[in-house]
Amino acid sequence: MDDNVKVVEAETSLEALREADEALRLPAVAEPITYPIETKVPDARQQTPAVGQRATRPDGRLHGLGQTKYIDDLSFPGMIHAKIKRAGIAHARIKSVDVSEAAKMPGVLATLVGAEIPVNSFGPSLQDQPVLASDIVYHAGDGVAAVAAVTEQLAADALEKITVEYEPMTPVFDPLEAMSDDAPKVHDPDSNIYATKVIKKGDVDKGFEDADHIFEATFRTQMVEHVPLEPHATIADWDGNGRLTLWSSLGRITMGRADVSRTLGLPYNRIRIIGTIVGGNFGGKNEITQEPILGLLSKKTGRPVKGVYSREDEFMSSTTRHPFIMEYKTGINSDGRIVARKVRLVCDGGAYCSWSETTLGKACILSAGPYNIDNLHVEAFAVYTNKTMTGAMRGFGAPQVCFAYESHMDDMAKELGIDPLEIRLLNAFEENAASPTGQVLESVVVKESLQIAAERFGWKD
Amino acid sequence: MDVTMNVNGRELTASVPPETTLLRLLREDWDLTGAKLGCDVGDCGACTVLLDGQAVNACLMLAGQADGRQITTIEGLADLDAFHPLQKTFEDLAALQCGFCGPGIILAAKYLLDTNPNPSTAEIRDGLSGNLCRCTGYTKIIEAVADTAKELAAKQDAA
Amino acid sequence: MKPFEFIKAVSTEEAVAALAEHGPGIRILAGGTDLLVELKHASQSPGVVLDVSAIDDLGAITLDDDGLHIGAGATHTAIMTNPLIAEHAPAMIDAAHTVGSVLTRNLGTLGGNLVTCVPSMDSGPVLVALEAEVTLAGSGGRRRMPLTEFFVGPRKTILGPGEMLVDILIPKANLGKPTGFVKFGLRKGQALALVNAASASWTEDGKFKSPRISLGAVAPVVIRCPAAEAALDGQPVSEEAINEAAKIAAGEAKPIDDFRASKSYRLDLIEVGVRRTLAAAAGLQGD
Repeated sequence: MDDNVKVVEAETSLEALREADEALRLPAVAEPITYPIETKVPDARQQTPAVGQRATRPDGRLHGLGQTKYIDDLSFPGMIHAKIKRAGIAHARIKSVDVSEAAKMPGVLATLVGAEIPVNSFGPSLQDQPVLASDIVYHAGDGVAAVAAVTEQLAADALEKITVEYEPMTPVFDPLEAMSDDAPKVHDPDSNIYATKVIKKGDVDKGFEDADHIFEATFRTQMVEHVPLEPHATIADWDGNGRLTLWSSLGRITMGRADVSRTLGLPYNRIRIIGTIVGGNFGGKNEITQEPILGLLSKKTGRPVKGVYSREDEFMSSTTRHPFIMEYKTGINSDGRIVARKVRLVCDGGAYCSWSETTLGKACILSAGPYNIDNLHVEAFAVYTNKTMTGAMRGFGAPQVCFAYESHMDDMAKELGIDPLEIRLLNAFEENAASPTGQVLESVVVKESLQIAAERFGWKD
Repeated sequence: MDVTMNVNGRELTASVPPETTLLRLLREDWDLTGAKLGCDVGDCGACTVLLDGQAVNACLMLAGQADGRQITTIEGLADLDAFHPLQKTFEDLAALQCGFCGPGIILAAKYLLDTNPNPSTAEIRDGLSGNLCRCTGYTKIIEAVADTAKELAAKQDAA
Repeated sequence: MKPFEFIKAVSTEEAVAALAEHGPGIRILAGGTDLLVELKHASQSPGVVLDVSAIDDLGAITLDDDGLHIGAGATHTAIMTNPLIAEHAPAMIDAAHTVGSVLTRNLGTLGGNLVTCVPSMDSGPVLVALEAEVTLAGSGGRRRMPLTEFFVGPRKTILGPGEMLVDILIPKANLGKPTGFVKFGLRKGQALALVNAASASWTEDGKFKSPRISLGAVAPVVIRCPAAEAALDGQPVSEEAINEAAKIAAGEAKPIDDFRASKSYRLDLIEVGVRRTLAAAAGLQGD
């Protein structure tokens, strides 16, 4: 060894490394854990540095340049296109599906029907949705067959050559009608009610007795479609190791992988879902739609297969916001204090459960509004109808009940001759109020917000 | 049939079936995927391009209709030196969220400012009436167009 | 879209010849804003699509001894920015501005709007109020008729096989006639009209002279309101006369209930529309 080279012994210790970590703010070496673990609970209403700042978005530059690649902007060598045939009938038994004419067409490389799906059911809470309807059609937007062809136009033309024989069944469209015992049944022969939630707090009947006035009203909200500007899009491709890759506009890719695993009978480790930049979701892309279909078409053809929903598919065959029918009965005193409230919510649950159970739960908890009500009874039902699926959409049940309880509040204020702002301030939550389900709330600023807003709007003028 | 167009300053040719829309021609034959397919019937404006300087729905034009014309897509706005002021302002103000409407809205805004350099808010809304955005509520988009108008006017005065 | 043959004409003569040569399914492409939507949903191919958008004189706007000629191929934007129209029939600018959106106005043509012939068309009422005439060209020559005769029913015009609309004429006598136009829609842009109203009238010695009232979206085609016109002609320009005419006009319409609006709401809108457009034509502040 060269005598001029000096070997320096580095002085390292865990302490020194941790100090270096501190400087870099990189936890390369973890702190030893001491039990019990103390969780840091931030003080309520603590201002964070982010509030009040104008932030730029890291993807903004590429968007403006038109360089952002959404799923439909991706293309792979040999890629072909898939289209799904929609039932177009609200409720029917499928007697036969004949894809032979479509399969013969030049340029059509594969067809798919429901019977070919290994496990033809999935869903976020109830697995009541088929990938492709094979026995019963539950709503007009149900897919009944699919084709893959070298161009989109050929795929669309091929759909016309698919013959499906239906035996029409009596559909039910109105959720209230669907709740009755003799209504046509959608899934379960006994009942169309597939989820029920009840909240009971205090004693509503006594509350109504004690109250000076009782107000009743029914509110309805409509079905709303998300209309993301980018339609649902997916590309499916298999590799030489038998693994399926899906590029998809799907939002929940882990759950999506579970559903693809279930429906295609594949282990998780053979499924890779790449969720790229999406052109709007709003809750409508929260579950799989055509992923298993494209996966199977890709397997059959040995080619990457792309499927993009048309705008018609978006309206007919993708999830929507639940229409709600909300019956409110409120016992209120002459001074405006709410004493008791009874709410009955009927949620139009569409053809499949999708996210209805979650929506129902949220709606229930929020149906009383941010108001102190000692006696509360909420009963909520999700009901199947033969209409487009209802699922997650920004708010998840909150917008519907908010419309109801706020309109109701205004109506009562008017009748009692009380200022709509005052009646709310009288009843509103304060710090550490409890939600109807007993959750103690912090950072409650309902009254302050109302007052600041009222001042800014010039409410008094 | 064969078509030739001047696209973003370059002459491009393609051989396509007559029923090909300008939108598909741009996206599939020439890999200009900035113009998007949102509805395919001219309602959403995600497919907006400039045809001889006028903002149009590319999904409502046949390739043959656009033959021999001059097309500007979003890809043609920035050059190697700089972004178009609209692209810069949209970025600075974080005017876009998912971005899908972005190319269409920016081109519609460019057409507006080309024909009306000092638009009122009502005129900006009118100029963007053919472009839908589902994410933003349009507020920052309108602000960005207004700011760009002021910026361009200031540059004009300085020049 | 189903495959078709594409022909591009560079002159009206060439277009007429192509119409004669090819089968009755042939479709004319001017702007394409209606046609392409239709073709995308059609189950059959049209066989041939004839592009007339490159015919320069088909879009020309000119003035001669007969009056103001607007070529069928003139886009709504071209109409909105044309100085002759601004001078002689400015209400057409108001009407053109309500068609679709700025994007579709850059492509869509006046001729296309008239030929598609939906009852809610936005360009019809002002032209009908100004007693416009249209010229059709076919292999047998040209023929001219009042616009009201051109409209036969919803999506049906008088165009025969091998014929195309080439010209819309506002007669010289009606150039400069004060005209008001209003469109009621559920939105300010990209809206289908619930009710369209146009009123054109001279005023002489403080009285309405030759008033013409036209309504759209309230009957199978764009209509005139002859009873209201007759009642108003010679009446002093006043709120009473205008209100009376509006009531009569509402009675001459046949609005329907649909998912956009109820019949009763439309009847209400007709009265408001006629009042406002008559007031505008008479130079009054409307309601």
